[in-house]
Amino acid sequence: MKCPRCVQVIHRGANLCPHCGFGIGEVDQRYGHDDVVLRRLGDVAGLIRAKDRPKVSAALDKFCKRFPQLFFAVYTGSGQGGGNLRQFGFWLLNRAAFEDVPVDRPNEAGILLVIDADSKSAAVTWGYQLDPFLTEEDTFFCLSRAHAYWLEGRFAEGIVRMIDQLEKVLRKRAAQARRDPEKFERKVAAPPRTGEIARRIREGHKQHAAAHTVVPAESQSREVAG
Amino acid sequence: MLSAGVAVAASSVPLPTWTPEDKEAVKKGQLVPGLSLLTEESMADPLPKAVAEPPKPEEIAQSATPTPVVGDQYLDAYFGERPQHFLVDPQGLLSTKDARDRENFLNYHSSDSAIDLFVYLFDAHQEIPSEVREEEIVERHFSSGKPAVVVYYYLGAPERSNIYVSPLISDSVSAAEQRRALASSVEEAMEKPDKVAQFEAFCVQVAIRIYWMERATGLVTDEDPATPQLRPLAKAPKKEKEKSALVVKAEAIAAEWGPMAGIMGGALTIVGAGLSLARRRTRYRFPVFEVPPRMGGAHAAGIGAVISFGSTTQSPSSQRNEVPDYLGL
Repeated sequence: MKCPRCVQVIHRGANLCPHCGFGIGEVDQRYGHDDVVLRRLGDVAGLIRAKDRPKVSAALDKFCKRFPQLFFAVYTGSGQGGGNLRQFGFWLLNRAAFEDVPVDRPNEAGILLVIDADSKSAAVTWGYQLDPFLTEEDTFFCLSRAHAYWLEGRFAEGIVRMIDQLEKVLRKRAAQARRDPEKFERKVAAPPRTGEIARRIREGHKQHAAAHTVVPAESQSREVAG
Repeated sequence: MLSAGVAVAASSVPLPTWTPEDKEAVKKGQLVPGLSLLTEESMADPLPKAVAEPPKPEEIAQSATPTPVVGDQYLDAYFGERPQHFLVDPQGLLSTKDARDRENFLNYHSSDSAIDLFVYLFDAHQEIPSEVREEEIVERHFSSGKPAVVVYYYLGAPERSNIYVSPLISDSVSAAEQRRALASSVEEAMEKPDKVAQFEAFCVQVAIRIYWMERATGLVTDEDPATPQLRPLAKAPKKEKEKSALVVKAEAIAAEWGPMAGIMGGALTIVGAGLSLARRRTRYRFPVFEVPPRMGGAHAAGIGAVISFGSTTQSPSSQRNEVPDYLGL
């Protein structure tokens, strides 16, 4: 878990980034406090040709069928994020209201791909529900699959390719989670409080000391028996 | 009677008598009694040879046996009317079986040809009476009706055979052609050992020559479906190349395990298709965990990778953006 601004690792449940103090309030001031109505395929920058839009829409629909809890959204813009797509993606997925996504699939179950035509960059953001199952490396792997297409300006094909790769990753994660859900649950479990940690340490010390004090008592009893 | 017999015997041949010289010769070993019986030299006087004069040519001509002529009783059966059967043998020169075989052949020929073949059968040395003129008989009986070839065949002497054709085809089939047909038929017949086989070969060859006569007369054209047509030979199957031992072994294995492999392959294909279909229809679900919100985001705070696609010369990894842009914000 990283901060979208300083890209430093932050702990679970941090209200603000402990490193740079980043919070959603900061991006709200920049992009707005109100929700933004979007569709899953929001091609604001016009990167996707009209004839290719059905292919992308079909890929999005297929993703939704395969993963009944999730949805995938694409947003393309120009100069979005002022050069920092992480912060813009973080803000958009929290403020967007996808009108073509069923209400039983909240933004917590969403994956958002943001493409900035000006900076020629792409970023991925996901909701809390996918925190245990996706990593930054997974998303980089998927973006790499689309990289060659995007270099040639074939954005639609790149997006479809990336979705296919993401499906593979998520299928694998779903199978792993079905076999061992606790492994993924531990990744997102609430961090123990500081006092709790101190109490466990003290209990450990007490148990260790008791083990050492029992040994002489046993030796005494053997002497009495002899 | 005894005395009479002795008297007759005494009068006919006198018995030999011994003389004193014979007795002395026997004693000296100069005479062996009965020696004359053990030698091939006849003691009797040789008979006088009869002197015969060589016969004169006139005598030879007069003494030759005259050739038998076909009996008068058969003339009506032979030449009285147009024969009802293709084989005319009122004398019964052929056995019943041979006559039936030849008649069947001639009937078959008649059904297959535009020219009938009539065979008058005579014995090898028989002569047709001089008052019977064969050409006249043919003209009289075969001028109308289906054209015919008439053969006078001498059983056992095919070289004496004669051939005639009905007036309808005599103009088209020349006498030379007729002679050639007869000659070839005689040649075929002469190659056979016995007279029945000769007659059979003769009839077959005449029938073959009639086939060409049909074309010469224009009775049959090549387009006529009734005539035998040369059909293209069925394509002979290509001679298979000799198969190598490896190929033979592979074929044996295929013959032995082919059906099983086919069944297994089909089963695997079905299973694969089923698995593929099942995989397509599989829905993937994730367990839902309680995740505390971060940095004030109500729905999401998962920050993934950022990649730039501005350079075609650099790899995706080198264009991965992991550097925060503090100064820009």
